[in-house]
Amino acid sequence: MPDSIATSLDERFGDQPRTCAAGSGAFAHYELDPGIYDEMFHRDGSPRSACRRLGDMLARASPEDLAALQDGVARRFLHEGITFTVLGRAEMSEHIIPIDCVPRVLSAQEWDHVDRGLRQRITALNLFLEDIYHEGRSLRDGVVPADLVLGCPQYRAQMRGLRVPHGAYVSVCGTDVVRTGDGFAVLEDNLRVPSGVSYMLACRAAMKQAYPRLYRAHGVREIAGYPEDLYATLASLGSWGRTPRVAVLTPGRYNSAYYEHAFLAGEMGAMLAEGRDLVVHDAVLYVRTVAGLKRIDVVYRRIDDDFLDPVTFREDSVLGVPGLFEAYRAGNVVIANAPGTGVADDKAVYAYVPGIIRYFLDEEPILANVETHFCREPDGLAYTIDHIEDLVVKEVGGSGGYGMLVGCHASASERGEFIARLRADPANYISQPVLALSRAGCFVDGRLEPRHVDLRPFVLRGRDEIRIAPGGLCRVALRKGGLVVNSSQGGGCKDLWILRGEGEEGETER
Amino acid sequence: MMLARAAADFYWMGRYLERAEQTARLLDHQLNRLVDTPARELAHGWRVLYEAVGLAPPSVPGDADEAEAFLIADAYTLAGALVEDETRSNSIISQWAHARENAKQLRPWLPVPVWTSLNRGYLWMRDSDFAAAWALGPPTLVRDAIDRLRQLAGVADAMMPRDDAWRFLELGRFVERIQHHAVLLDTWDALGPLPGASTSLWWGDLLRVCGAYEFYCRSRSMVVRRESVLAFLVRNPELPRSLRFAVHRIGELLSGIDPAGARYPLAPPQRMALHLAAAVEMDPHGDESRREGDGGADGGDSFGTLLRDSLTLHDLVMAAYVDYPVEEGLPS
Repeated sequence: MPDSIATSLDERFGDQPRTCAAGSGAFAHYELDPGIYDEMFHRDGSPRSACRRLGDMLARASPEDLAALQDGVARRFLHEGITFTVLGRAEMSEHIIPIDCVPRVLSAQEWDHVDRGLRQRITALNLFLEDIYHEGRSLRDGVVPADLVLGCPQYRAQMRGLRVPHGAYVSVCGTDVVRTGDGFAVLEDNLRVPSGVSYMLACRAAMKQAYPRLYRAHGVREIAGYPEDLYATLASLGSWGRTPRVAVLTPGRYNSAYYEHAFLAGEMGAMLAEGRDLVVHDAVLYVRTVAGLKRIDVVYRRIDDDFLDPVTFREDSVLGVPGLFEAYRAGNVVIANAPGTGVADDKAVYAYVPGIIRYFLDEEPILANVETHFCREPDGLAYTIDHIEDLVVKEVGGSGGYGMLVGCHASASERGEFIARLRADPANYISQPVLALSRAGCFVDGRLEPRHVDLRPFVLRGRDEIRIAPGGLCRVALRKGGLVVNSSQGGGCKDLWILRGEGEEGETER
Repeated sequence: MMLARAAADFYWMGRYLERAEQTARLLDHQLNRLVDTPARELAHGWRVLYEAVGLAPPSVPGDADEAEAFLIADAYTLAGALVEDETRSNSIISQWAHARENAKQLRPWLPVPVWTSLNRGYLWMRDSDFAAAWALGPPTLVRDAIDRLRQLAGVADAMMPRDDAWRFLELGRFVERIQHHAVLLDTWDALGPLPGASTSLWWGDLLRVCGAYEFYCRSRSMVVRRESVLAFLVRNPELPRSLRFAVHRIGELLSGIDPAGARYPLAPPQRMALHLAAAVEMDPHGDESRREGDGGADGGDSFGTLLRDSLTLHDLVMAAYVDYPVEEGLPS
């Protein structure tokens, strides 16, 4: 971090005010699109109230200042080894996640809306999961087609009738939230092994160092307690009468999110264990230590169901622990998230979540869903093929930006190829309209420009409490016009500042 | 509570970092001699260096003039192979990379400044231009590498709690040190100075490579002879690079890792540590009352025996703390 530049820039925050406006001064290249919600500016170019302080400071910064700041932040990530791995590209095995030095800012009111929606959603989804693995009322009542659930590759018959402690199937959830002109909406629920929380914390640490005075002046809500909350959530899932021993189960250092696994284990004081470090004996899970085998009480698993236990799931798995599911079934260990939660974040089941909320909670969804077309249905398939240029087509079990097509950005041959795949296996796909994702200010190629962003807040659900870190991983499509924000697809990240809200004025679009 | 695999990673991290520094120290010494050392002595030096790091020594033309030209031109290649050649497992960059790979798996146990120091050192080495550094002076890059390795050791010393993570890191460092020194002393002694070359310079150079020259002169004398030097490097209890010091530290570290293993009946690693300590005490090289010419094979194969015993110690440590059978590890 070039301290002198960061400090001088930050100190100038206290200087003469200079009002920022899209299209002028430092924001000369900041072009607003009336069809796209901008996180920083109103349509008339004036800053939104939550962003005014930040915008004014940026207006005083020269491109050289910002370039130095950006470079310092990136160098910090490089030195600290804050990396991810791109799948299938051995020559690019280790990448520093691109970070943008301009934070995104949300007001307390905006966050409150998102927060309430997330609480509602995780509550309903846990009830849904408990139901489909027990009574199955929601399936009988047609809330979700039974064949969609029971035929879902993520449905685990082994979980039927198995009581999960406190009904906490999903203890850790990373929900992808986007904003369009119509407000916030959920793009997908990640209920298996959501990642990104370490980048959220790393972005925050970097921003605090970059803008200490500005950060303090904004009254940003703190997120540093996430690891403690995660530990408390995991520990609450059982009754041990002693301090439970937690292990983070990782596939190992070649996994794309290995940095995060190591980070969380370190922050929680948990064991970072691979399958080969764990052993089940008499239905009890142990970890190999230098002082012999020690019992493990909670497994925060960061590997997919398929690979958890070769005895119960995929027999060719070398990542899991033979007998782990037996120990789980015997109640000798808690696994978070529980096996089989993936059925509720299947992209086809996603479309039914509003109905799930109404059915289990008797409430209207606070956060909207995105319109979804099922290719398994003839009408949905026909619509998708006819309108593919205006749609995003996704594999129902896909994640990480893989197995998807953004129609408007694909070539004719790519679209043709994808249509052939759709016809061959229509049940494997859904389609959604190309969303006009909101844009936030970024420092790209030496100037401030808007880029499309999304948001992944992290929700924790323990024995009797839901905790949500007031923030999230804000992912950004750094390529101009790009809509794919996944880091594996060239996306980056930025910090998200949730304001405490004292003295905030109400916001109306101008 | 130390995860067994993590303990092994700490242990190997310690070994790789020690190995990187050993190679760098030897190389630094050799590169400093380029300026004023006759070609045949330089060739001899490369031979010792390469053998000490476990590589086949380079062949040098027999003709003196050709050898001169070869050695001046080829010092760059010979040094480069040991510094920046990532395809060679013995190169400094490879050892640094191996240590970093170990450290990546240890991040929950490793204080951030230690990881950052290691990572920055590796990135610096990876991005260094060996040719450009050579142009500034052949030893420049190697000296900088030594500085960064020492800085890393200092950060680790300052930041790491003295728990099992630290003990395994140090254990790896000292096991590596014993093995390296056993080979180095054996090679240095076996090859000896060239006929006609200065004996005291030869043995003084060994002290310099081990960072012991000043301490030797201060605590012993300016008279540098084979028996005194070997005795000093084998038995001095205050010299970090003496065999006795390393063996003593290994005993202490093992007692910390497994206090029960240090009580009778002794656990196998502790037994071997005691055996090593006894072997160093009894090593004939440590007896400086011997005089040059009292028998060329006066030390016998004691360094070779020490090397083999330290390899056995490595196996015993792994068997006792990392790869033990499940039945033996279950709580009683």
